[in-house]
Amino acid sequence: MPIAETPAQVLDCKGLQCPMPVIKTAQAIKTLDPGQVLELLATDPGVEPDMKAWSSRTGNELLAIDRDGDVFHVFLRRAG
Amino acid sequence: MWTDEGEGKVLYVQTHGVSDPGRCATPFFLAASAAAMEVEVAIYFTMYGPTLLQKDVIDKIGPKGDRGQPLAYFIKQATDLGVRLYVCQPSLELNDLALDELIDGVEMIGGAAFNDMAMRADAVVSF
Repeated sequence: MPIAETPAQVLDCKGLQCPMPVIKTAQAIKTLDPGQVLELLATDPGVEPDMKAWSSRTGNELLAIDRDGDVFHVFLRRAG
Repeated sequence: MWTDEGEGKVLYVQTHGVSDPGRCATPFFLAASAAAMEVEVAIYFTMYGPTLLQKDVIDKIGPKGDRGQPLAYFIKQATDLGVRLYVCQPSLELNDLALDELIDGVEMIGGAAFNDMAMRADAVVSF
């Protein structure tokens, strides 16, 4: 599913292993305003279940996870 | 002790120490992940666990030996996210350690406090 809006920030976690993508996402999203979108780039194969769990716990909205080869593009909207 | 400010509480228990470096880092990874989920997190070090918190040890061991990051890196990752570290007196004594030989920020609790934390936590994970 393509995301219509341009992310406010792109966080490159390619090559990083668990738990770094989760930790860096948690830190990065706090720098956004409510409603803004963060795009996470990650190659950790656990990122899809991790981001589903993380977003449901924290209330930040998981908009989409697109896969492009080995790279997952995860779009998250900061909770308002 | 718990502040009840997070979206839930997880207590990890680390019983392994410096003689088994492959088991030293995972509780810190998982604790850091939980803290990133806005969960309140503590790690209780008992049996040989307190040996991992010695000031003069954390830069010298790591889960993969000389390859990869030292234990200090994983500890800092967890504590920077608010993970709190606890030890108890008998386990310091077991390892002939004093609190001032451990890294800053480690708090001392006893068995009653530990059991209270465990009963009030949403999950207790023991290593």
